[in-house]
Amino acid sequence: MSTPPVRRTKAALFAVTTLTVALTACTSREAETTSQTGSGPAASAAASQASGPGCTLEKTGYPKVDVKSAIVGFSQSEKEANPFRIAETQSIKDEAAKLGIASDKLLVTNAQSDLNKQISDIKSMLDRGAQLLIVAPLNSDGLQPALDAAKAKKVPVVTIDRKVTSAACTDYLTFIGSNFVEQGKRAAAEMVRVTGGTGKVAILLGSSGNNVTTDRTKGFKDELAKTAGLSVVAEQTGEFDRSKGQAVMEQLIQSNPDITAVYAENDEMGIGAVTALKAAGKNPGKDVKIVSIDGTKNAVQLVADGGYNAVVESNPRFGPLSFKVLQDFADGKEISENVVISDDQYDETNASQKLGNAY
Amino acid sequence: MTAVITDPPDTAAATRRELMTGVLQRQGAAIALVIVVAVAWFSFPRFGSLDNLRDLALQSSFLAVIALGMTFVIITGGIDLSVGSLYALGGVLAAYGSQYGFLVALALPLAVCGLIGFVNGVLVARTKMAPFIVTLASLLFARGLLLAITDEGSNTYRVPADSAFIELGRGTIGGFGYPVFIALVLCVIGAVVLRRTRFGQSVFATGGAEQSALLMGLPVARTKITVYTMSGVLSGLAGALTAAYLQSGVTVIGVGTELDAISVVVIGGTLLTGGAGTVLGTVIGVGLRNVIQNIINQIGTLDSNYQSVVSGAFLLLVVVLQRSLARTKPGR
Repeated sequence: MSTPPVRRTKAALFAVTTLTVALTACTSREAETTSQTGSGPAASAAASQASGPGCTLEKTGYPKVDVKSAIVGFSQSEKEANPFRIAETQSIKDEAAKLGIASDKLLVTNAQSDLNKQISDIKSMLDRGAQLLIVAPLNSDGLQPALDAAKAKKVPVVTIDRKVTSAACTDYLTFIGSNFVEQGKRAAAEMVRVTGGTGKVAILLGSSGNNVTTDRTKGFKDELAKTAGLSVVAEQTGEFDRSKGQAVMEQLIQSNPDITAVYAENDEMGIGAVTALKAAGKNPGKDVKIVSIDGTKNAVQLVADGGYNAVVESNPRFGPLSFKVLQDFADGKEISENVVISDDQYDETNASQKLGNAY
Repeated sequence: MTAVITDPPDTAAATRRELMTGVLQRQGAAIALVIVVAVAWFSFPRFGSLDNLRDLALQSSFLAVIALGMTFVIITGGIDLSVGSLYALGGVLAAYGSQYGFLVALALPLAVCGLIGFVNGVLVARTKMAPFIVTLASLLFARGLLLAITDEGSNTYRVPADSAFIELGRGTIGGFGYPVFIALVLCVIGAVVLRRTRFGQSVFATGGAEQSALLMGLPVARTKITVYTMSGVLSGLAGALTAAYLQSGVTVIGVGTELDAISVVVIGGTLLTGGAGTVLGTVIGVGLRNVIQNIINQIGTLDSNYQSVVSGAFLLLVVVLQRSLARTKPGR
């Protein structure tokens, strides 16, 4: 039997292809992850209750569950390859431990960026007796089957960091997250402060088609418009990615050599911009001011070192607030549709002391 | 199938070795599945609960439909990397089409994904381009098309709540979802087609020894075009079922699904080099993957990354066995 020569090499070729595709897949997941970093929220656990009709135990008819002795399930959306996700999961675990919830009563799953897996994760936690659920949704749509399963078992679901399109109070209890428009506004206020109110600003946008990007852009521009001396001279997407942010910044320096400030919609792109500016012989933090959003250790360290100007935090520490909301709900208090987690801020005055808070 | 194992073995030792590896190769996944199910059944009281089994079956059904098409493609000696993107595209098209009624919701994804699969097949069969390059291009094309029609993923089409289409994904018989039965029926049909029809024989012959198949006058090109079209249609169908189940055309699904599909097919004993494989093996491969995932969920405290570790290790084992099986055959 003759074997076509092609077949001999096919296994090897397949291996290579698989690897290539796997790497591509990883990269794209990483990008999503990073964008997720963008949508990250909160540590200090001070919540300002937002508008929206409240949801109460009475209204839902759910049983009263004592948070401290309940079985609690936490469904993480993406693999913990980025600081935001790590800090988020850790915060849930820490708070559970602090409340004295036994470690075998806190169920934790990770959907590894697979929506079908997140649905079965949630269902399996319900199956294992979860009485309260905290979910970091992978996507705004598509979790309906899991939410329905929770509803059928009268288990309240708190969604964190990403809002789902289902109905609050009936499909899920509430959404806890950052106010991204507000983050953009605060970044603009910092920009006005560090530039002294004059300059030409370049914006490194996050991934397009993403509410985090839209909100952070809107908030920034609305706030910046109040200062006549500052104008946006260029805006391009760096897709929440460090190397893309760097590449875009390199091009922007070529086309607009007179840029005096950069607003990066996440820390990673801001750090990429620093590298690009240095390569172009500029002095980031001094002759080109940089402000970004997230609060990662790398960026806050740069602020402390003086090579970066300010970082508005997107708080990933949802633990305290999530459990507080669940406790309030059990106590019969009214829970609003959206709960905003408070974000911190880092600048040259506090970056060194607060470095420990960065994630 | 025995198409590739026709040469007389050299020695008795080689025969034994071939037999051993052959059994492991063909039955390894089944043996492993029995073991993991048994372990799970006795270790985790909730594993055997009806709720869990229903969910396990439902979650497996989507991948099974995709992997069915992949099985045919791989047996012809090809590969289809576009299935993950087509799966996601099918879901979005179904959700978009659902506003025009049940038939559109089903026909639109099947037609579009089938067409892309058909183009894959034509390019592979007629231009002799490498299947992984052709289908890598469609992977990118289909994902791009999906992003274009959803405004870069920001616009998610939702299936109207009163649409009959939702029933397709959420209706149940005896608690088991319709997709489970659809996947089962399709796999039975697929197995029969593969084993009992002339088309099935052409599929094996194409992958087993393409030159001989050509010389014997078998429709090699037509066979290839058919399997890639099938793979496209089935991926689109899996997407449509998922959209009905999720009630929306979620854009983030299907990333890396092609690799899941390929790995379950290979774990199920289908030779990557083509010419041998079974649909039953693929179904077992899907089951094995999802049972392992389910067990890791049952353990709960285990880092879910271990699912990939376990699946990866198992896949490697199977591929090594396949390699050693191939080496025992004289003339390779």
